[in-house]
Amino acid sequence: MPSQDNPDDRIALLQGTLDLLILKTLVLGPCHGQGIARSIQRQSEEVFFVDHGSLYLALQRLEDKKWISAKWGVSENNRKARFYSLTAKGRQQLVEKTSEWQRLTRAMGLILDGRPSSEEV
Amino acid sequence: MFRRRRSSDDFAEEIKSHFELEADELQSEGLSEEEARRRARVEFGNAQTAQERFYLSSRIVWFDNLLHDIKFAIRQLIKNPSFTFVAIVILALGIAANSTIFSWINSTLLDPIPGIEHTSDMITIMRGERSEHPTPPFSYLDFADLRDSTRSFTGLLAYHDDYMTITGSDKPERLYGALVSSNYFEVLGVRPILGRSLESTAPNERLGVAEAVLGYGLWQKRFGADPSIIGKTIQINLHPYEIVGVAPEGFQGCKSGLRSELWIPVGMDSQVWGEGRRIKDRGTFWLNVLGKLKPGVDHRQAENELNILMRHLVEQFPDAHQGPNMISSDPLWRSPFGVNVYLSGTLPILFALALVLLLLACANVANLLLVRSVARRRELAIRLSMGASRWRLVLQLMVENGMIAMAGGGLALLLTTWTAHGMPAFLPTTNLPLTMNGSVDRTVLLATIMISLLTAAVSGVLPALRASSLSPMSALKDEALSTSGGIHKSRLAGGLVVGQIALSLLLLVCAGLFVRSLQNEQNSNPGFDPNHVFLAYVDLRPTGYSRAQGIAFDRQMLTRVKSLPGVQSVTLGDFSPLSFTIHSNIFQPEGYVPGKNESMEVDRGEVGPEYLQTVRTALLEGRDFTDSDDDGARPVSIVNKALADRYWPGQDAIGKRLHIAGRWRTVVGVAANGKYRRLVYDPAPLVLIPILQSYQTFQVLYVRVAGDPLSYGSSVERTIHGLNSDLPLFSETTLAANMRIGNAFERIAAAFAGSFGLLALILAAIGVYGVVAYATKQRTHEIGIRMALGAGKRDIFRQVLGRGLHFAGLGLVLGLMISFALTRYLRGMLYGVGTADWLTFVMVAILLCVATLIACFVPARRAASTDPMQALRTE
Repeated sequence: MPSQDNPDDRIALLQGTLDLLILKTLVLGPCHGQGIARSIQRQSEEVFFVDHGSLYLALQRLEDKKWISAKWGVSENNRKARFYSLTAKGRQQLVEKTSEWQRLTRAMGLILDGRPSSEEV
Repeated sequence: MFRRRRSSDDFAEEIKSHFELEADELQSEGLSEEEARRRARVEFGNAQTAQERFYLSSRIVWFDNLLHDIKFAIRQLIKNPSFTFVAIVILALGIAANSTIFSWINSTLLDPIPGIEHTSDMITIMRGERSEHPTPPFSYLDFADLRDSTRSFTGLLAYHDDYMTITGSDKPERLYGALVSSNYFEVLGVRPILGRSLESTAPNERLGVAEAVLGYGLWQKRFGADPSIIGKTIQINLHPYEIVGVAPEGFQGCKSGLRSELWIPVGMDSQVWGEGRRIKDRGTFWLNVLGKLKPGVDHRQAENELNILMRHLVEQFPDAHQGPNMISSDPLWRSPFGVNVYLSGTLPILFALALVLLLLACANVANLLLVRSVARRRELAIRLSMGASRWRLVLQLMVENGMIAMAGGGLALLLTTWTAHGMPAFLPTTNLPLTMNGSVDRTVLLATIMISLLTAAVSGVLPALRASSLSPMSALKDEALSTSGGIHKSRLAGGLVVGQIALSLLLLVCAGLFVRSLQNEQNSNPGFDPNHVFLAYVDLRPTGYSRAQGIAFDRQMLTRVKSLPGVQSVTLGDFSPLSFTIHSNIFQPEGYVPGKNESMEVDRGEVGPEYLQTVRTALLEGRDFTDSDDDGARPVSIVNKALADRYWPGQDAIGKRLHIAGRWRTVVGVAANGKYRRLVYDPAPLVLIPILQSYQTFQVLYVRVAGDPLSYGSSVERTIHGLNSDLPLFSETTLAANMRIGNAFERIAAAFAGSFGLLALILAAIGVYGVVAYATKQRTHEIGIRMALGAGKRDIFRQVLGRGLHFAGLGLVLGLMISFALTRYLRGMLYGVGTADWLTFVMVAILLCVATLIACFVPARRAASTDPMQALRTE
């Protein structure tokens, strides 16, 4: 709707990164939204603060693209939760996005430091 | 697309579960239950926003809005039924004009060969001089040589269509059929639904194989859809054929607008029409040729190649190719063979006129919308001040207008299901197997929807933009401000009215030109007197008479019919004038040397004794045919003045000889010029030869009578059946009625252009009335003041009328300019009237002026009778 601000615009900056992180997290196995958020925060050594609203919208978007699939299930501590898992298409996307990301960070590293960045930031 | 897979509730559920999971985890890290819950919520951020964003991110939002807009639009339209009704009817008329013409275009020009979907790679091939009524241009031998050597086509087919009669049963049936080359069905891509095509006859194409493919209709009607029909025998013109196939439903041959019902191999010519010579003679041109281009070859290349091949043939056989031999090709939609040659000129012009009418209807509805939007200023202003964007308002107004247009389109479609089948109303009952007609199919449906949407956009966009451009503050303030808004608006409204008058002038001018052209045509002298002549079509073929028997029968028939009370004279012909039935032949006048590539083709009629007297064509010199001009006498002919003047200028034609239809004949009479093909053609050279000297089985009996010709039908029929009770008499008509087929296309054009013009006049008058009445009403206050200050009723009356005339004047000037610029495209379709015919222009301008005045009269009267006290109080 042109009369409203397009909500997708606001998260567009983060979109690529967040999508990639979600896919990466799901490689380890199906997980629910809260678990994914925690996992990203933990793995990034709390550098990333995941905006939960954006996370759930990103999950929905990935689901719409059929990169991930979702199913209601029960968590370890017996709570009802929506579990996401990677589809074959998602797995393929992960490979592509990862190499894309690596090329990008390498290029950024070259420009900023004059040498290829060895770390992914 | 409209339904998303996941509901908002489900999403909310997921967020709720997130809180619980997070709280659990925080609790396990040592927080209290309450604190854990709080932290979970805080960390999440605004859950409400996330849910809202989830909702908005789905595509369903615009759909929700649209649904809402549609519901709102319907409520608004129902609230204002008179506006809605008028707008829908105006648009329906405009759209129906377009969808009707389009339905005709769709089933004629866009569907040149019914039953075949793709015809874009097919072309018809013409040799020699181009005309609107070409004779079949190829001899069999030329065709066969071209077909065998061309590389541009995947296939080249030939056909010759004419009447045949199914004989051998109690009920002989005359129908239209075609002799076809063996590859006919394969090239067209038509697969018989039963049995096979004629392809296997290829090795014996020239000799002919007695096989026939039936048309679907014939199979249904005459053979009761017999599934075991294949292998049975059918007798055509007294010769037996094996039925080998049944064509699919809808296929009717490849000549546009004419239905063939039977196909037999081209080599059977000698059995069908008894002209065994044709198939062997390179100089007898009797086949139409149609080709399917190879992929990647365009028609120019194909034309060039055929021209090279043809030149070789001409060099090899110069005697057989004395006329012009240039080859040209046409796409099927404007093939010179069949009715499309006429329709391809008429229908596109009518479609253009219909579009102008629709534009006019749009302008009218736009004006109605403008008036309405002023009444809705408050509503719109409130919505704007409540935060609706301008775009949202425009969309809402467009949706409303879209609803009107779709309702109009729906009504138009209903009308079209009726008008689409209206084409035959313009055609007299004729024995031509004409199939011109329209129908509403999927393409027409889609086109109507497209036209309706376009209509909605064109008529709605200006009023919607204008209506939504108000500033909420001013609109919500006193109504008095509407005066200034009114001025602003009336400029757009005024512009629309001027445009309407201009467009209706254009339509009226076109209507006037077409009608005057038709009048000229109908008042033109055809060279004979069509009144009081009864016509009956007779076919002697099924009787099995020999030539001598047939001639004896003809004599008897003429004598007996002539002795009927009230009958003045009787004759026969192998054609009737102005009904596309006259033939042409190559001829050779004595003492005339044709120029290189000069076409020596002339119209040729075979007629009985007293022909000129019966049709009342003036005899300028010599004598009419008599019943002694038969096989026993010397071969004679009558020519018309045009022929005598052209080939024997300044000489006496009587006594000259000419060679036609295989014999040298002495000219014994010179007749006045007449029109035999179409009224709009200049009189062409004509040769008449006595039917008693060249027997024809297909005959038209002409009976000149006193009083109503059709009342003689039963007595003529009785007389003929008295001679042979089995002889079928088909198509009893009058000469006057029969020749109406000759100007059917002009009548279609005049009828449509005329009704479009009339509608345009009404729409323009409504438009002027609407704007003047509205402007006057808005200025009630001002008028009141003027009257209070001493202006008389007459001044007010004059002022309002002057306002209307101001519009009319501007509209007329604009309209005249447009008309002068555009009517030149009608040139080819007008007869006896120039495209800048001043009489038409002046009459139309006066008519529009009068209509405008009448439209202004009512509001002017109302304004003049304003009570100043009342007027000043109302605001």
